[in-house]
Amino acid sequence: MRIKKNRSEVTVSAGSMADIAFLLLIFFLVATTLSKDKGLMIQLPPDMPPTKTRIIDRNLFKIHINSANKFLIENEVRTNLEGLVDEMKEFVLNPSNSSSLAENPEKAIISIKTQRGTTYSYFIEILDLVKEAYYQMYGEKLGITSDQFRALDRDNPTEMEMYQFARSGLPMNISIAEPNKK
Amino acid sequence: MNFRKKTIAKSEISTASMPDIVFLLLFFFMVSATMKKQDDQVKLKTPEAHALTEVQKQFLIKELHVGKPKNSSLGIGYKISAENKMIQLSEIGHWVETQRATLDETYKDQMIVLLRADENVDMGFITDIQQELRKYKARKILYRTLEK
Repeated sequence: MRIKKNRSEVTVSAGSMADIAFLLLIFFLVATTLSKDKGLMIQLPPDMPPTKTRIIDRNLFKIHINSANKFLIENEVRTNLEGLVDEMKEFVLNPSNSSSLAENPEKAIISIKTQRGTTYSYFIEILDLVKEAYYQMYGEKLGITSDQFRALDRDNPTEMEMYQFARSGLPMNISIAEPNKK
Repeated sequence: MNFRKKTIAKSEISTASMPDIVFLLLFFFMVSATMKKQDDQVKLKTPEAHALTEVQKQFLIKELHVGKPKNSSLGIGYKISAENKMIQLSEIGHWVETQRATLDETYKDQMIVLLRADENVDMGFITDIQQELRKYKARKILYRTLEK
């Protein structure tokens, strides 16, 4: 005698597996960002014995940071750096033709001098503000913000032209003075 | 009356192999995406800044790390680490030369030295490194910072 087996096949639908796997794939694609290295770029001067050039005092915007991380900006002790960006912009562009500010933007130099004991993060803070001031000036020339200016794609010819126009006649003269010997 | 029997031939494509195809894609992306090796000889915390510039040509970048050694038997002061090795200040020149040799002829003078330094390093040490780099004509410096 044959007993009829009650076979009820239990199957899990594999159709949605693809969706799950796609979800995983998309998650990884989105989550992995190819980060480009970002930072503050400067060019060091060539290694040559220093040549003496006379720089008229009014063309030099002096920022000193001492080893106690205190700022001396244009011979004034400063505790907060608010408004420094605008001061630097006024110094470089000199819209009011003041005799104490730079003769013209090409001659203007912003000098950062640190001491051996200065903490790196304070130097970066100042360098950041100086760069920001210049980028704002470049942006204003084109009628865009400094962030938009930095986002200009230099591989794109029209944007490269904008970039070059903004930078012409307004060089980023940042001098990083060597600290005094111990 | 005799109805002609309809033959219903269902032609379905099996979707069972779809997950395999997608997994294959997933694995391809996972394998082809190479993780950037982190230099972990030194501990450091980079400072933050806002006016950041991005480097277009990533291959020009050569990294120097300045921080406190993780292995405390190497000392507690700030040390330089390059290519996962601790180097002395006097070895920077040699490092510059070897790094420059890895670049194509046309890009040799455009090398960028990325300085990833801890926020509490003294500027004296940074300046010493910069003097050394200047001597060996590696004058483009990128201070690595995080976005504020």
